[in-house]
Formats: sequence, C-alpha cells, structure tokens
Amino acid sequence: MSMLSASVASAGLERVTVMQGEAHASADPKVELSTVLGSCVATCLYDPVARIGGMNHFLLAEPPSTRSRETFDEHYGLFLMELLVNKMLGLGAFKSRLKARIYGGANLNPAMSPIGTANGAFAHKFLQNEGIPVAFEDLGGRAARRIHFMPASGMVRCRTAPIESAPMDKPLVRPQSASGDVELF
Amino acid sequence: MRPTRILTVDDSASMRALLLHALTTQGFEVEQAEDGQQAFEWLATNEVDVVITDINMPRLDGFGLIEQLRETARHADRPILVLTTESSDEKKRRARDAGATGWIVKPFDAEKLATAVRRVAH
Repeated sequence: MSMLSASVASAGLERVTVMQGEAHASADPKVELSTVLGSCVATCLYDPVARIGGMNHFLLAEPPSTRSRETFDEHYGLFLMELLVNKMLGLGAFKSRLKARIYGGANLNPAMSPIGTANGAFAHKFLQNEGIPVAFEDLGGRAARRIHFMPASGMVRCRTAPIESAPMDKPLVRPQSASGDVELF
Repeated sequence: MRPTRILTVDDSASMRALLLHALTTQGFEVEQAEDGQQAFEWLATNEVDVVITDINMPRLDGFGLIEQLRETARHADRPILVLTTESSDEKKRRARDAGATGWIVKPFDAEKLATAVRRVAH
C-alpha cells in the first residue's frame, strides 16, 4: 500500500477514480473523487447549499474524416457534461447554484492536434451557455495533473504530475455505446 | 410539401443549439422550449408534427409533459420521442407507460434521429 492510499484508508475515505468518459456525483463526506489528466479536462461542479459535488473526465472525440483535424467532435463532451449535471440534480442539487472548477487540457505532444486547448475551450463554452460560473480554472500547459475532489465540501487539490503518469490521451473516435440507437414503442 | 415541424424540449442551452443545428440541417422546421411547462403552454396554441423531449428538466419534467399532453385530446396521438441521458429500463418503462412514442439515449446520432422523426411523423 502506498503512503497516499494508506492515509486515505486511515481517514476512512472512499476514493473513486473518475476515468475518461465517466461522470460521478456524491454528497457523501467520505467520498473523494480523483483522476489524472493529460490533455483531458475534468469539470468539478459543486452546489454549496446542498453540499453535492460531481466530476467528469472527458476528451473530445475526433471528428469524422471528412472534417478538418483542427476541429473536434463536441457531441460526446456535451453528453458527459449533461450526464454530470443530471447526476447532481438527481441527488438534489440545483443547476442555478452550481459553480465550476475546471482542470487539465494540457498539450502534451506538440506534434499532435491541440486537443487539450480544444477540450478547455469546450468546457468554457458549455459552462457559459448553461450559466454556470467558473470559480477557478487550471488549464493548459504541458504537464499532467492529479486531481482530488471532495464532493461534499467542494474542496479540490490539484498537483502537477509526471507526464508518464497521465493516461494515454489519444483522441478517440466516439465509443460504440454512444450509437444513439432509437427504440420505438 | 411543407417541412416536418418539430418541438424540442430541453433545459440545456448547449443541447438546444446542437439539436437545432442537427435537425435544421436535415430539413426540419424546429421550435424550442426550455422545459416541460414552457412546452405545454406553447403547445396549447401551436401545432407541431413531432415532439422531442428530455426527461430531467425543472418545473415540469419529460414524464409530466408526456402525461399532460396525452390527457389533451389534440395531443393524444402526437408522436413524442424521448431523448435522454437516462439509460435505465425503469425510466424507459415509465416513459412508455406515460405514452411516449420512442426512446433515444444521448449522445444521439443525427442521421438516426432524423430517420426516427420521419418514421413517426406519418
């Protein structure tokens, strides 16, 4: 057991790792949401009245081959944002009270498309459109970040991390689960 | 022939913008409401061919909107497609019991959504 996980265990915390393509929300003071980011972005939303928080972790998908490499498919990012908001509303949060902290969006590989910048810009645009204020942001650069978020208190710790610790942030095509199938009754 | 007219109901401004672009690009005429209550009030005096509604919304959610529309003679047979991030069978069953015509889990595929709209629009 590492020193960090030992301290988490001794504090009685339940650490939930938020992987790329996931969104988690909780009002449990024993829960800590954590993730490691490269060019991905994590949005931490918090309702300070209901004391409910949530985090997602997304990477914009590559556009169809017919579109420019400099543009990115925002559809899946939008889905993960909405999923996070809905999970929080389901626990009793109010959208009008939400405040955001956004992290990540590094451009680790200069040879690749600036997807980190695109991820950060997308998060900003979504939050602005939805009227959710950004209380804090730590975006861009060329370092990986390790994020720990206590959803019941809204506290966030962000530390830079070695690039090797970031997941392989290859731009992905839209996952098969996101097929948008239609079921008529 | 006049284009098929759709009312989309979603509290997310980002999703409304995405739907507006996706559906108008497919040749549909699109009206938009921000929640079930606004949609219900608008439909009291306006006609559309198809309603596409989210589930989780303030004031009146998608279930409530479908139930209220089904109690109105003019909208008793109106095609209503649910477009939602919810993926549970319980929520899907609840939508079907309320009178929904179809169920689509986000993120949607614009082509499949357009095909479904054309199919239910008669």
